[in-house]
Amino acid sequence: MRIVVCVKEVLDPDAVNNYAVAGRLEIGDDGKTLTQTAIPRLMNGFDEQAIEAALRLRDAGADFTLAVVSAGESPEKLLKHAAALGADEVVAIQVDPGSLDYHLVAALISAQIEASGGADVVLCGRQASDDDQGVVPALIAERLDMSLVTIAKAVELEGTTLRITRVTPDGDERVETACPAVVTITNELGDPRYPTAAAKVKARRVKPTTVTPDDLKLDADDLAPRVSVTRQFVPEVQGNCEMLQGDSPAALADALIEKLRADSII
Amino acid sequence: MSQNAVIVCTWGEDQDGLPVGAEEVLHIGRGLAADLGTDLAWLVLGALPSAAPETAGRYGVANLLQVEDAKLESPQPDALVAALAAVAGERSPRALLFHQTQASRAVAPRVAGRLGDAVVMNGVSADLSGECIVVTASAYGGDTRVVYEVSGRCPVIAFIANAVVPEPGDGAAVAAEALSVDLTGVEERVKIVEPARFEGPRLDDAEIIVSGGRGLGSSDNYKLIEQLAAALGGLPGASRPLVDDGWVDSSQQVGLTGRITRPNLYVAIGISGASQHMAGCSAAKTLVAINRDAEAAIFQYAKYGIVGDALELLPELIRAAGAR
Repeated sequence: MRIVVCVKEVLDPDAVNNYAVAGRLEIGDDGKTLTQTAIPRLMNGFDEQAIEAALRLRDAGADFTLAVVSAGESPEKLLKHAAALGADEVVAIQVDPGSLDYHLVAALISAQIEASGGADVVLCGRQASDDDQGVVPALIAERLDMSLVTIAKAVELEGTTLRITRVTPDGDERVETACPAVVTITNELGDPRYPTAAAKVKARRVKPTTVTPDDLKLDADDLAPRVSVTRQFVPEVQGNCEMLQGDSPAALADALIEKLRADSII
Repeated sequence: MSQNAVIVCTWGEDQDGLPVGAEEVLHIGRGLAADLGTDLAWLVLGALPSAAPETAGRYGVANLLQVEDAKLESPQPDALVAALAAVAGERSPRALLFHQTQASRAVAPRVAGRLGDAVVMNGVSADLSGECIVVTASAYGGDTRVVYEVSGRCPVIAFIANAVVPEPGDGAAVAAEALSVDLTGVEERVKIVEPARFEGPRLDDAEIIVSGGRGLGSSDNYKLIEQLAAALGGLPGASRPLVDDGWVDSSQQVGLTGRITRPNLYVAIGISGASQHMAGCSAAKTLVAINRDAEAAIFQYAKYGIVGDALELLPELIRAAGAR
């Protein structure tokens, strides 16, 4: 059995948020890229949890080869992290991130999966914390004609059947599907593990397999971008909060409840 | 129906006789169709929502189309994707528009994949630039907006619930036209073994929500949030850290990756105002923020604010809310 996890490098969303909250988030001269160099780049958190989901399958006794694949400029750092966690293969699809749209990412990853022995399970984060789009897993499922299960917080494997707990607005839902399948993982899966120090040292020597779009023989239609970013901006927030005053918690509480009653909100 | 229409796609029905978010997306679709000089159509998959014909009239829908099929009775993804792709193949729409829900988040991109067309999620608005549809979408949990130019025949676009305030016009009700699609070959590949058991009212529909965040200090204090919510006749919610730390169930998480709410009153207590969270509550009519940190971002969104200790204020608020 072969399990492929797709990972993406993103700007640390918490750092981005801290800049945003402080009103200091800046867009670069191209009008579309966040250029603050102080913001660290790291593996998308949901993707890290997708690797964790695979490792938990291994903990439960499933026998499979784990491949971790990423597309971008230089995904070596996160792929080394994946290797330290226990990935058997790490694959870098080398491509200019500026030229990437979601269809192309899905086409590259799907072609790589097909060219390298296929996959029984493809695990992805539910969305990337930079663009929040979350469409690549569905596009991969369509390309590879696999079933799709989204927003999973627990994944079990029994033979070639996946038993999955999904988080839905109405509570948890238990589903089953046959492999091959694409499964997207949500934060409710829980914290991903850290690699051991020894595994990290060993992973330093790991060289990712590098492939280019040419190697994957995509046709012109696959390579044609359908979506392009023309601009990015920071939305304005209104900011006209009436700060309530009072000498004590009781007085503040009374002031608020009075306001809400006067406005007929409660 | 003319070719090249902008088609709003829905399934299901809420208590108001409409699918959640239908009016918002019809509102956006009406504007986009007008910009493109084409018709607006509304495609209903499965049972026709009771208020659909009147609502279609109020948003200038030229054609209300309905695909009825036993496989769309309680619509599952494979049947929905197949039906949408079939209709798109037959009618050559100019765009397919969706209201973004967890279900449409899985269906819309698959339709785009099957058609080989562009897809954008988290849309807040759609405009025209020359011949090109341009979609503004939320990114970084709401910290930024990204403007996407979408090319190709039939982009698939999903819009977030609180992106617009719909403005219905007047217009006569539109009768539904039946469309037939062959779904005989479609089998759902994912089987629901144990359905989500929805108990009690949902945050998505709540009029009053009191949410707590890390500022509560410890999980024991969350009961004060529940008590205040009860005293105000509302429901308790939470920010994502509380769910990640296991203090509360994920069904109570408000935010981009949780519930998207639009209550009359949202009280955020000990919540900093990270955009991830705001994506789930910024559509509240009145937002109240209580935070120890006077500089917390949450105050930028609030109508009323109190700088203070949540644990000192909560018992007093529970008392004041209960007193008449």
